[in-house]
Amino acid sequence: MQSLTVTPNVRPQVHANVRSSPPLLEIQGLSVRLGGRTILDRLDATINGRIVGLLGPNGAGKTTLVRTLLGYFKPSSGNALVLGHSLATDRRAVCSIIGYMPEDDAFIARMSAVRFVRMMGELSGLPPDAALERTHDALTFVGMGENRYRKVGSFSTGMKQMVKLAQALVHGPRLLLLDEPTNGLDPTARHRMLELIQDIGHEGKTGVLLSSHLLGDVEAVCDEVMILKAGRLAGRCDLASEHEAARTFVDLETLPPKPRFGKRLEDLGCSVEDRGDGRFRAELPSDLEVQAIFSAAADEGLGLRRFERTRDSLQDIFMRVMEDDHGRS
Amino acid sequence: MVVRDRAWSAWEGPVTPTSRRFLVLTRYALRDVFESRVFLAFYILCLIPSAAALLAIYFSHNTQFLEQFGGVDSWFAKAPDWIFLHLFGWQALPAFLVAVIATPPLIAADIGNNALQVILARPIGRREYVLGKVVVVFILLSPITWMPGLLTFCLQAVLAGGQWTAENLRIAVAFFVGHVVWILVVTMLCLAVSAWIRLTAFSRGALLAIFIISGVAGRLVNGVTRSSIGDLLHLSRAIESVVLRFFGAAPPSGLPAPANWLTLAVVVLGALWVLNLRLRAVQEIK
Repeated sequence: MQSLTVTPNVRPQVHANVRSSPPLLEIQGLSVRLGGRTILDRLDATINGRIVGLLGPNGAGKTTLVRTLLGYFKPSSGNALVLGHSLATDRRAVCSIIGYMPEDDAFIARMSAVRFVRMMGELSGLPPDAALERTHDALTFVGMGENRYRKVGSFSTGMKQMVKLAQALVHGPRLLLLDEPTNGLDPTARHRMLELIQDIGHEGKTGVLLSSHLLGDVEAVCDEVMILKAGRLAGRCDLASEHEAARTFVDLETLPPKPRFGKRLEDLGCSVEDRGDGRFRAELPSDLEVQAIFSAAADEGLGLRRFERTRDSLQDIFMRVMEDDHGRS
Repeated sequence: MVVRDRAWSAWEGPVTPTSRRFLVLTRYALRDVFESRVFLAFYILCLIPSAAALLAIYFSHNTQFLEQFGGVDSWFAKAPDWIFLHLFGWQALPAFLVAVIATPPLIAADIGNNALQVILARPIGRREYVLGKVVVVFILLSPITWMPGLLTFCLQAVLAGGQWTAENLRIAVAFFVGHVVWILVVTMLCLAVSAWIRLTAFSRGALLAIFIISGVAGRLVNGVTRSSIGDLLHLSRAIESVVLRFFGAAPPSGLPAPANWLTLAVVVLGALWVLNLRLRAVQEIK
């Protein structure tokens, strides 16, 4: 059956004469070894200015990839290019166009939010006056009011997250690296954070790489997903086009189990995935009425124990990629 | 009422030169240091020895003043020689106290809540980060050490004339080089302690302890071995010996000059090792 398209780890072929500007992020055979262990293993990927989710189980190498892009870890082989700037030879230029929001706390407790974000702006090269102006813009953008004059050490977790986002944004980066940005946020703050990420990404000038293990967050804001497994790119999925396609699926279970019912569904024009024990997932053609499925079941003398209209969720994709990978290994 | 567009935009204006970017850290740190009025008051008090030296030099050349206080054979008339011999010591203690009070939070505040990982995510390296902090201490200590020292020398030179200046030019060089060496050693030590110990009070205690313990250990070794070998451990004696040699005075240490320099070099290299170990955006798993 055809479900969401997951492309395997294939390095995209980009021809110089076709490409007008370098990709936002190009990872070329990047390997990183830490503590004698390979964390990233010949990773290849290209990102082009959208909101890209970086998914993977714990230890897959998501945070290591983000930190390597910042130059914190030296690759054992390979390279990464950010807008054509090589991480290996021009880290300074790479860091100038990257904004980074780390997973854990990162602030100077005794500084006010304004001073902290302004200092970060100036360290990125903004002149002091421009840094102050943009600090206020960034803090306003993340929804921080008069609290911005309080010391960051006195902030709640949600406010600290917003300050971290503001400092990542203040210099107007072309690529924003967000590492678990909704960590520790309550539902309202989480919703607000995801809204902000969408605003940033869809404004068009800043690409976002969102590293998270929360599939819901990634599904809510990302256009594309890269799935890492054991330091390698296990799959990619274009969520935007899948959402546009708006395909509908039905999960159903027959009573008694009858594998032949899958063939009957295919005759109705469905793409069918047989999940065993009389369980099927069928992608419905746009012109098919669900009544036809009930009729087909009745014709076969089957009862329908379960009938649920659904869409292929990111979780399904993720689990499939993980299982495929297990199968391969 | 100001209405702001909620959308975010990239910065397309000019940027500051990367070579001077480390001074941002210096500027913010200095402002943090002088935020405390108590510290500001203490800092002003630390200028008193230098101000007193300047006044003494001035009055030692003031005939009206000398007539009232014993003439050309009085203590005041001979003040310049005495001042240039002891001014370094008068300045060193308050300067050291300034360093002990002001430097502990310099790096500890950045490490304390992992701010280093967002600072080093900027186009600034670890060396520039350290340089930015070193400049903070240098700027803090200069106005209470070599700057008033040179000012005192200049005043004496103007009042005593060209011959005195030519004969004693070594004093000016000694003030500058001696203080720079002293500031460098103290700065590296302070920054290493700040990077190692997060709690300010403990950092201050550790800085004092390093000097006290090294002194006690040095004397102990000297006593046991009945030699001067313990001076290798005696940090303050090593600094004092190096500086006094610049002035052409007899050093307190019985060891030759290279041995004193070795002590200072080991301290500075040790401090750099600590900084290299601690100043990382994230700790790499070994």
